[in-house]
Amino acid sequence: MIKDAMNRRQSLKLMGAAGLGTMLSASGLPVFAGGASAGRVVIVGGGFGGATAAKYLKRLSPSLDVTLVEPQPRYITCPFTNLYLGGIRTFETLWHDFTELREKYGVRVVHELAEDVDVDRRRLKLAGGEDVSWDRLLLSPGIDLRWGALEGYDEAAAEKAPHAWKPGEQSRLLRRQLEAMEDGGTFILVAPDNPFRCPPGPYERVSMVANYFKNHKPHSKILILDAKDGFSKQGLFMEGWREHYGDMIEWVGRSNDGGVMRVDADTLEVETEFGTVHKAAVLNVVPPQKAGFIADRAGVIDASGWAPIHARSFESQLVEGIYVIGDATQAAPMPKSGFVASTQAKVTARAIIADLGGDTPPEPSWVNTCYSLIAPEWGISIAGVYEVHDGLIREVPGSGGVSPMEADRSFRRKEAEYARAWYAAITQDVWGTRFAF
Amino acid sequence: MQSIIHFSRVSRLLATFLVGLLHSVHTVAAQQGRPAWERVEAIQTLLNGAVPRPEAVRLDLPSVTQDGSSVLVTAEIDSPMTPDNHVEELYLFALGNPSPELAEIRFTPLAGRASVSTRIRLDRSQTVVALARTSGGDWLSGSRDVRVTVSGCLSRDATYQADDVMQTRVRVPPRFKAGQASDIRTLINHPMETGLRKDAAGQPIPEQIIELFQARLDDAPVLTVRLHRAIAANPYLVFHMAPEQSGELTLSWEEDTGETTVTTAEIRVD
Ligand SMILES: Cc1cc2nc3c(=O)[nH]c(=O)nc-3n(C[C@H](O)[C@H](O)[C@H](O)COP(=O)(O)OP(=O)(O)OC[C@H]3O[C@@H](n4cnc5c(N)ncnc54)[C@H](O)[C@@H]3O)c2cc1C
Repeated sequence: MIKDAMNRRQSLKLMGAAGLGTMLSASGLPVFAGGASAGRVVIVGGGFGGATAAKYLKRLSPSLDVTLVEPQPRYITCPFTNLYLGGIRTFETLWHDFTELREKYGVRVVHELAEDVDVDRRRLKLAGGEDVSWDRLLLSPGIDLRWGALEGYDEAAAEKAPHAWKPGEQSRLLRRQLEAMEDGGTFILVAPDNPFRCPPGPYERVSMVANYFKNHKPHSKILILDAKDGFSKQGLFMEGWREHYGDMIEWVGRSNDGGVMRVDADTLEVETEFGTVHKAAVLNVVPPQKAGFIADRAGVIDASGWAPIHARSFESQLVEGIYVIGDATQAAPMPKSGFVASTQAKVTARAIIADLGGDTPPEPSWVNTCYSLIAPEWGISIAGVYEVHDGLIREVPGSGGVSPMEADRSFRRKEAEYARAWYAAITQDVWGTRFAF
Repeated sequence: MQSIIHFSRVSRLLATFLVGLLHSVHTVAAQQGRPAWERVEAIQTLLNGAVPRPEAVRLDLPSVTQDGSSVLVTAEIDSPMTPDNHVEELYLFALGNPSPELAEIRFTPLAGRASVSTRIRLDRSQTVVALARTSGGDWLSGSRDVRVTVSGCLSRDATYQADDVMQTRVRVPPRFKAGQASDIRTLINHPMETGLRKDAAGQPIPEQIIELFQARLDDAPVLTVRLHRAIAANPYLVFHMAPEQSGELTLSWEEDTGETTVTTAEIRVD
């Protein structure tokens, strides 16, 4: 059983490493031109989901009129911001732009914020005043933070105790704070309950911070206060932490009073459910999250704060003609990862083209691999393939797997290489970025 | 007055009948426009002919959960909680678990609010049902469907650190206002061994659970909870209390071996 899972896993890894060509077949997309009636598709968000969708819509059906709305002139990835925080990657290597989408694929890219959605008239309102009409609207707005859900944690507090869970100035702020911290201080990361963006993300982050401390501030401590009693790849993370960082990192789960209820960003103190107060030198709060606000304006989210979708097409269950992909959706058991957002985009591009042509969407299949680095040459991963079964998304039985425990150094080094290759391959696929290797 | 003993007899009956019957009654129930679980014999035994008022128990649960080993549930009923008009009993069931009983809660008017939160184990996607009985003998119900998935980026290893079993935590508000309900949180470290697991040598690990929780303010009972094995490891409870005067709150957690941990907390009423 286990062996079988590992073999499949290895073939997934090869896909990750091999890049463009196989990324395509990973989501079962043949490359064909035309074949669908032209229509206007408007996409909100130029991240993993939206940018992938723009490219594949134009590749599959060049006569489509595709508009991508994204306020940032360049997109900064969350993946690998942890490496930047740990000082092993520069910020600039996380930047990607929209030149290829515009010039090679003929996508109309509008650098503005989408402010509102007029569902009845099928128009998207942009902050600059322009209205864009659609035949189909695709939302991939990522997440918004639930300000105030954690007492004392609002936008002003984030200027002192950054979240760095949406990349940009927040990531730089956290990096500056880590650099300014004196040796011997405590870095506290407050981790949220499920569901949230990138389940292994908080644990990769403390690994990278530990790597920085080990080399520059070896007397410092790291404390994770967690709203959960378990986390993604927990055994592998804890094994790696012991191996590389001794007892520098302490994880406190919910049942050991890790649930934070109140944040004081001025004193950098947090108070837990049962009244313990912890003081940090640098405080990183990853707060509860919800779908980006435009999903709310479009009426596609429910009480959970996320968008329920039809499994086959990712068309909203609540509003016809609007599709939602990526972190904003309720697509469990698929995790909220960039890899997932990108495969969802490829599948949904086909579904939209089928829909515009009056056809039913093809049978979908999605794939995910989440790599995490524990140390620069120590990588771990988890992978899965997903399908629709009885109208619901499920993991294909036996398809997934995680890295084995107690693997040797060379195995972990290879996985760290795969992680870097994955990043290069996916950013080349989505934004056309070419890294010098 | 029914006793805790009666609770568990009903639950045993329920366990015996529920799983087999649920499927076969589904069609009939659907035809009559009533939820399938209402027609399950053991629930009928509990109801004894009464028709519960639907959606009168608010059940707060995620509709999709990525980790069935610990799912937060809150059950709440609007009730004045006066001596002549209050909720006396609340029963929670997870119909798709190997044994469906979750917990039975007995409130007194001193609780001030008929609300309780705890964490439960859900074996698979299923329906969670709550039934409540008021002091006037009315039955109320609520139900929620929960989908349990295993997320691709989530851990599958169940880790339990058994360092400080039977250690409890409690949090009470620094001050109560006389007669107004405020919440009390408490937790005990305990694996809640279900009896369904095997050890490394393939031997079944015997069931060992916390089975009884009691909260008293001085001598007056506030809340009593009978816990079953599908309460998540490290049993966690949030309930309310509306004291009229200051006193000492005593919380006791009793294991099925008879071992008991007692904690006290000072209650100050302004
Ligand atoms: C620290 C960290 C590490 C991570 N590591 C990994 C990893 O290793 N691998 C992995 O696969 N995933 C990883 N992720 C997760 C990944 O970043 C997300 O899952 C992914 O970005 C989701 O893609 P998306 O398209 O849904 O949203 P995003 O990528 O966030 O894109 C949303 C875009 O929409 C734009 N937008 C939002 N609202 C509007 C509006 N109203 N109008 C116009 N534009 C709008 C935003 O500006 C943004 O560019 C990580 C996340 C974090 C935080």
